[in-house]
Amino acid sequence: MTILEQCFARPPYSIPAAEREALLLGAFNELTAHHHAHCAPYARIVDGYWGGLRAADSLADLPYLPVSLFKMRRMLSVSDDDIRVTLTSSGTTGQAVSQILVDRESSMLQQKALANSLMHVLGPKRLPMLVIDTDAVFKDPRMMSARGAGVLGQMRFGRDHAFALTPDLRPDIDAVRDFLAKHGDAPFFMFGFTFMVWANLYEQFRDAGLDLSNGVLIHSGGWKKLVEKAVDNQVFRAALKDSFGLIRVHNFYGMVEQIGSIFMEGPDGLLYPPNFSDVIIRNPVTWELAPVGEPGVVQVLSLLPRSYPGHSLLTEDMGVIEAVDAGGDEWMGKGLRILGRVAKAELRGCSDVIAAEAA
Amino acid sequence: MTFTLWNPAPVVLDDTEVLRRVEALTYAGRAPLAKSSLDLLGAISKALFSSPQARVQPQYVALAYWLRPAALERLAGELRTRFDGSFVPAPRGLALHLPPTNVDTIFVYSWAVSVLAGNCNIIRLPSQLDEGTAWLAGLIATTIAEAGEGDRHLFCQMPQDGPLIEAISRHCDLRMIWGGDAKVDSVSRTPIRPDGLSIGFPDRKSLAVICAASYRAADETERDALAARFFNDIYWFNQMGCGSPRMLYWVGESGDLAIDLYDRLDAQVTGKGHLTETGVAIGKFAAVNDLLAEGIGASATRVSNALHVLKSDRPAAMLSQTHGGGLLGQTVVGSIIDIAADVGRKVQTIGHFGFDRGDLEALGQAIAGRGGYRIVPIGQALQFDILWDGVDLFDQMTRRIAIRL
Repeated sequence: MTILEQCFARPPYSIPAAEREALLLGAFNELTAHHHAHCAPYARIVDGYWGGLRAADSLADLPYLPVSLFKMRRMLSVSDDDIRVTLTSSGTTGQAVSQILVDRESSMLQQKALANSLMHVLGPKRLPMLVIDTDAVFKDPRMMSARGAGVLGQMRFGRDHAFALTPDLRPDIDAVRDFLAKHGDAPFFMFGFTFMVWANLYEQFRDAGLDLSNGVLIHSGGWKKLVEKAVDNQVFRAALKDSFGLIRVHNFYGMVEQIGSIFMEGPDGLLYPPNFSDVIIRNPVTWELAPVGEPGVVQVLSLLPRSYPGHSLLTEDMGVIEAVDAGGDEWMGKGLRILGRVAKAELRGCSDVIAAEAA
Repeated sequence: MTFTLWNPAPVVLDDTEVLRRVEALTYAGRAPLAKSSLDLLGAISKALFSSPQARVQPQYVALAYWLRPAALERLAGELRTRFDGSFVPAPRGLALHLPPTNVDTIFVYSWAVSVLAGNCNIIRLPSQLDEGTAWLAGLIATTIAEAGEGDRHLFCQMPQDGPLIEAISRHCDLRMIWGGDAKVDSVSRTPIRPDGLSIGFPDRKSLAVICAASYRAADETERDALAARFFNDIYWFNQMGCGSPRMLYWVGESGDLAIDLYDRLDAQVTGKGHLTETGVAIGKFAAVNDLLAEGIGASATRVSNALHVLKSDRPAAMLSQTHGGGLLGQTVVGSIIDIAADVGRKVQTIGHFGFDRGDLEALGQAIAGRGGYRIVPIGQALQFDILWDGVDLFDQMTRRIAIRL
């Protein structure tokens, strides 16, 4: 069995940190060598910045790329003909988007990893699914975006889909009541982006007397807009419990640059990396490994990326490892809390960005 | 349309009133180097020196020094030697200044030279001002008002395009556009007076050159002093000024000298308490990765969080990269003349250390017809010079009325 197969063979979040480090190190070194051999720009980076190809002594010792590099250039470790899908990150207008080049093998591994992660919280059977979004998000090509792709990706893990929102993102109360009448008495699956779950589900339906106590909600997308409303994970969970009786709520952290690697929220509210992944927190001045409990910049590792050199990435998120192997039997490894984005660098020179100046 | 005049408190004026005031300035110019002009600038210097805010910002201290009465008198003396009796010096008239969005202090210098030239001035401040700039503009507007010159120098905010600025531009004899290629292009589409002069300051990049043999011969004190001056050039504007060096050329094999300098530079960073924001550090790391991936950099060293050095065999490409925040390219050449091949139109300042006049003149001749506007000692890269980007600002801001007997 390959290391990845061993990871897949066990409950997806179950490998303790020390065992994980020992198990994954060789496979990550092999991946670094693979990308070094097949991606010339990556090789130039490893040779020019990391002192050349060598086996790392620990996961923290692996070379890492800045995640924004995928916004600056196409990076691939297979032939162009083998690319099946180009994934792009969400980005507001005018921002560069990441381009992630995925071949058949990587795509299959991502699907399998995603399925493992979701089945861990949803159970092995496909459940009826209430999407906290509108179907226009993927039906209307003008709206098609990372959001649409995200919704579509999740929908494959549910059945009998209903959509809680109208195309103009107002509550579709009839659709929700119909869904609950049919499926509300047994476990069902809900998915939505964190901000929309709050603004379009909670804020709009909170007094509608909906019983979602059989639901399992999976949500992602970041807390930035909610921080502005002073809503953190605790407030979020308490509000859903009080208004809808909804208790089974799982946030997850992931990014298109390491798609398939889902950091799932465990019972302690921390985010756990799947078996084939790990997380490292770096001190933002020395860039050395930060100890447990000390905030820093988040670096993520995933064994999945083979078609592009994205197995070890420095993100632009701040985070802290709150606990290790502390989430219970099925939630082992490092328990991560995301603290927000690194404040954007404002390096402005003598040149104006004309569009940036509001008239 | 809203026109807000800093008078010095912000006052909103309607378009008719704005144009009435602008028109009134057409014939309000003064003789160049008038005492009242020198006094006004001297008062600003005094206000800067006496305010605690200015003292913590080295750029403001430099500005205060440049504007102090003795320095202005010396400058005026030099400029008066140009008045050889063959002409009567005259102001151009009304000048419109369009400083960059990140208004550093350059716009104050450009306005100050225009004041010396005797012009009336309209200074359009960006719609969003950072705290320091708002404070500086406020201090200047207050001093102007106290001197009773508020009608002649309009520090204001107004839309960057549209009918109002178009109408104002039509009255202008001189327009100074700061802010790079795109801004020069975009602003230049709006006409000024048919007999007016529009001067644009486009994108520029700068470099530094050190003679390895001279550095080797320099003692500890000289090396530390060089590092202190180099620190100013690199970090004052977070390496994003037109004059900030992006590329360092060593003439002659640098060997262990390079790292010796970088360590001293880093000691300056620590000693002066310069902090690198995490976002800047990550952006710099990304730029280093991109330049290595592209093959523009051959290898990179992280000296510290504040300083990354990228060895490059393609210095011309390295010069055109846009990231700052302490990312220095390095290459070794055999002779100072070898730099000329990398000096294109966009190169502005060449900072130097350890060369004699003959070397520098040879470099100047080698880059003539290519690019490059200033060859100055390391430490003076950001220093304002009345000769800016090859333009003699005072000459351009005045007219000469020829007198032939």
